[in-house]
Amino acid sequence: MGRWQEIEHTADLALHLWAADLPDLFATAAQGMLALFVEVDDKQLETRTLTLTALDVETLLIDWLNELLYFVEVQGIAFTMFEFTELTPTVLTATLRGGPVRAYSGYVKAATFHDLAVLATPAGYETEIVFDT
Amino acid sequence: MVQKSDFEQINDYVWELPAAYDGRMRVPARIYGNEEVFEAAFRDSSMTQLMNVAMLPGIVKYAMAMPDVHQGYGFPIGGVAAFRWDEGIISPGGVGYDINCGVRMLASQIDYAALEPYLKDLIASIDRNCPSGVGGKGAVQLSDKELDDVLDRGTEWALSKGYAQRDDLERTESRGRIAGAQAGAVDARAKERGRPQMGSLGAGNHFLEIDVVDEVYDVEVADAMGLSQDRVVVQIHCGSRGLGHEVCGQYIRVLQDAPRRYGIDIPDRELVAAPVDSREGRDYLAAMSAAANYAFTNRQILAHFVRRSFEQVMAGKVKNWHLTQVYDVTHNIAKIEEHQVGSQRMRVIVHRKGATRAFPPRHPELPTVYREIGQPVLVPGSMGTASYVLVGTETAMAETFGSTCHGAGRTMSRNAALKQARGEQVRADLSQQGIMVRTGSLKGLAEEAPYAYKDVDIVVDSVSGAGLARKVARVRPVAVIKG
Repeated sequence: MGRWQEIEHTADLALHLWAADLPDLFATAAQGMLALFVEVDDKQLETRTLTLTALDVETLLIDWLNELLYFVEVQGIAFTMFEFTELTPTVLTATLRGGPVRAYSGYVKAATFHDLAVLATPAGYETEIVFDT
Repeated sequence: MVQKSDFEQINDYVWELPAAYDGRMRVPARIYGNEEVFEAAFRDSSMTQLMNVAMLPGIVKYAMAMPDVHQGYGFPIGGVAAFRWDEGIISPGGVGYDINCGVRMLASQIDYAALEPYLKDLIASIDRNCPSGVGGKGAVQLSDKELDDVLDRGTEWALSKGYAQRDDLERTESRGRIAGAQAGAVDARAKERGRPQMGSLGAGNHFLEIDVVDEVYDVEVADAMGLSQDRVVVQIHCGSRGLGHEVCGQYIRVLQDAPRRYGIDIPDRELVAAPVDSREGRDYLAAMSAAANYAFTNRQILAHFVRRSFEQVMAGKVKNWHLTQVYDVTHNIAKIEEHQVGSQRMRVIVHRKGATRAFPPRHPELPTVYREIGQPVLVPGSMGTASYVLVGTETAMAETFGSTCHGAGRTMSRNAALKQARGEQVRADLSQQGIMVRTGSLKGLAEEAPYAYKDVDIVVDSVSGAGLARKVARVRPVAVIKG
């Protein structure tokens, strides 16, 4: 099970992530990002499917997070549970489950590529992501 | 990691990192500020980020940081860089996600003493008329055609619909319409995000503030701007909302393989860039300019509804409740401008990320009313402190591509600010100072507390000392709506 830790940033928000494998990394990144600024009502779950393609794993990860931010802003839904039917460094197909945003405790405009590198480690994967707020 | 000792002091307010420090730097990096500002710049990674900017192709003169510099993503906030039109690049990360985030100031003829009894009603009315918060709907709902008009024509659209006065356009940077903007370069999803949000403040550090002029440094110039001692003014700080975020995100994504295709070396993936005169470069410039037009219009619509609130609350209470526009400046943008570089007159694309244009007197882009005094520069402080009105100078034109600071600049992370005090306490402290606050998020209020920011006086004294702008007036807040 992956974990995240918020790291200091003067103006924006940033997370350090540790995960066992790619699905774990993508799920942990999403859950960590949403925990920064939304509270979810998990009594009215909604489901969506999503497919993304990208040129590398970093781009796929940022696309994924920005896609989830889009759902929050435009539809008011935060997806926090994921089933990945395909996840390679360049393709993602997932079923998303989540609920309406109950309250906002902040704001995240976008996930950025700043100094981004997804590192393979003996324990799985590790990375840091800076979010524009 | 770059250190203070790697920099050379050029004068009291300028510090330079020579290009020789790192073989990848194409020009030196410079930070403007007094010794305190310079010291503070090494508390986060802003100087490394500035050094990265100095490595980008086609950069001319220097990669520059204004005294409100702090760590951002890609460029540092407070960063200014210009790239040659013919062989330089354009970088969405040099503008940021909130394209044309900026500030508008409106001036009244009302003495604060006359308004104070109605302040609570006024701020409540503005809060009703000007929506704020994450997502949500704006004050004006646009059709698809109207949104395209906004993207192409900016505040001219607002004027045609009765949301603006002709003078407002004169007193807006680029007259509220960036040439070359194309609605067609903005994709469907960005439009989907932007359509419902026109006329909304958003969240984060955005605000709408009622202030009082508490010091005038140059009476004649202040008078030309409609500013007098003890009179009430309004500041609106916001940007292009979800539309701008989407445009930036999409182009950063599109450009991820541009460095490989164009053989551009970049030190950070957030700094992806394309040659200015490439298909991707031109497309981004057209889309970014359209998003900038959206932001100008957004602040214009908010100004319209602030005027409505003044009428609703103050009509009959004072003789003249009308608000005139002082100016509207952008502080996140890339613009095509002509500048003198050495002995050459050069067409460049100036990136200002958390930096404000500060053109001098007699610049042809200035409206008649400001032609002889220079471009007004609006520098908002933090919620509990002063904001400044400055004017641009010849020194700024000669040294910094006509640029200066944009605000106080953060000095403390959001988490560190939250550890200092809770939102309730911040609100109580501000109330004790005579500042009324309305906010949808007390946590957000705590994150934006005054102590999380640099002392705006030091920032403004630094740009003023360096000659990058001249002080005109200072205003202090009496009521704040936090987005």
